[in-house]
Amino acid sequence: MRRRSERFACIAFALAVTASAAAEEPRLWLERMNEALTARNYDGVFTHWQDGKVEMLRIIHRNQNGKVTERLASLDGSGREFIRTGNELACYLPDQRTVLVESQSGQEGSLLASFPSFDEKSAAFYDIKELAPTRLNRRKTRVIAVTPRDEFRYGYRLWIDESTAMPLKTQLCDAQGRVIEQVVFSSLTLASHIADAAFKPEVATDGFLWLRNDPRPLGPEPANTSALWSALKLPPGFRMTVRSAQVMPGAHDPVAHLVFTDGLASVSVFVESRSEVIRPDQQPVAGVANVGSSSAFSTVIDGHKVTAVGEVPPATVRVIASSVTHSEAILTAAPPGR
Amino acid sequence: MSEELDSQLSAMFDDELPQGECELLARRLSRDAVLQARWGRYAAIGAAVRGGDVRLSGVVARKVHAALSAEALEARTAPIVAARAATRAGAWRRTFAGVAVAAGVAAVSILWLHGSLSPESAPLMARTSGAAATPSAGTAASYVVPQPGEPRPTVLPASELANYVVAHSEFSTPVSRRNLLSAFMASESATAAPPPAESVADPNQHADAAP
Repeated sequence: MRRRSERFACIAFALAVTASAAAEEPRLWLERMNEALTARNYDGVFTHWQDGKVEMLRIIHRNQNGKVTERLASLDGSGREFIRTGNELACYLPDQRTVLVESQSGQEGSLLASFPSFDEKSAAFYDIKELAPTRLNRRKTRVIAVTPRDEFRYGYRLWIDESTAMPLKTQLCDAQGRVIEQVVFSSLTLASHIADAAFKPEVATDGFLWLRNDPRPLGPEPANTSALWSALKLPPGFRMTVRSAQVMPGAHDPVAHLVFTDGLASVSVFVESRSEVIRPDQQPVAGVANVGSSSAFSTVIDGHKVTAVGEVPPATVRVIASSVTHSEAILTAAPPGR
Repeated sequence: MSEELDSQLSAMFDDELPQGECELLARRLSRDAVLQARWGRYAAIGAAVRGGDVRLSGVVARKVHAALSAEALEARTAPIVAARAATRAGAWRRTFAGVAVAAGVAAVSILWLHGSLSPESAPLMARTSGAAATPSAGTAASYVVPQPGEPRPTVLPASELANYVVAHSEFSTPVSRRNLLSAFMASESATAAPPPAESVADPNQHADAAP
């Protein structure tokens, strides 16, 4: 009798462990995928679909001793390119004859550690499960569905290559499961080494305007510092993870940069200094703008232009931006960001 | 629902939509169940954030009510012929032109696809400048009141939006970052604002930026 009860206990324990492992498995695939996207060397061509438009792009990514170099180039559209070299990101905009160069102070390779991490708290706002494995172009893929539990965030469906953990196909979905953005790789090569030449821009920049920011650490905090701004109310699950001040390319005064995340989606809020000179044609207009499926909302609070940008529905950036307030009273509530 | 329509609805909820657009959108709201559901969600979101009841600007409420009343009158005097959106992509068209190649030594091509997979919700379309999803038959693509000669004000100058998108992308997940920057690549650039007057061209910096 005693032996039988011990056997039942063992079986129950094994089932519990198995169930726990099964629940963890989809989340582990997300972690493996993020690790693969940042740590591997790869060269791929993919199509980006959104709102009826299809654009083909190429991404070349190299991680050399923790230093990330990456080139993202439009192959059939605007000709725009992004080239990251360590902590510097150059944005080539041939349609505007402009190059924006954003340098960040901090350790090289910070990109690897700056993205949000999905934890237990995050799990309360998403339903993550693994769907039936499938084959995508003869590759075994694990299909992970991340479904939001409310309207404040988007969901994902991810086709992750089983042997490399690279996402071969990703879909961004709204709360009803409708696909609103899709990326599908048409070619993907994992390389042990990628030469520097692969990261040269194809854009001829003769006569282009170069706008750089000043990456030097800011001195004594001016009137508009990140520490003075916070958000009174946030959508469920969102929390502030970064407070910083930075100077944007082409600007003189720093903007406060606050980052809010639920562990998967993130929203940045930028608060401009009151002393920034705003030309008549650049007077802020409150409203929503979209960059693909990401949303931006700009408004004016206490004479400061406040802009929220994030890969979330328009209502979420609107809510977050509108709740930002000047808050000397909670200066000590959160430590400064990087 | 298009992003523009979504944006208009959001602006309407906050009473920031011009009156002409508001009336037209309210009319559509009165007969579009999907739009009504979206409107309801905005109300719920607003209530959740405020931690209280659902409040709607009196001005907006009056406009919606007026539009609904007019719509009801129309319904009594003439039947509304509702056209249906019927365009739906058929099966995905997949053409695989290659096979995975395991080179093994220096590089491994794990994938070669020819063609693209588009979501079921829309057909794959060749990208043309400014191309948008085919509007449903019988449904206006936009309810923006045309204002000839007066461009709609942009929320943010393109260069400023670019700065923010780039700065934000540093804090996104790798997939979101790639999607965000890819979308920025594909976004229209006609709204680009001229650069600040004090900035000067410096082509010599090209060499500095190159890796």
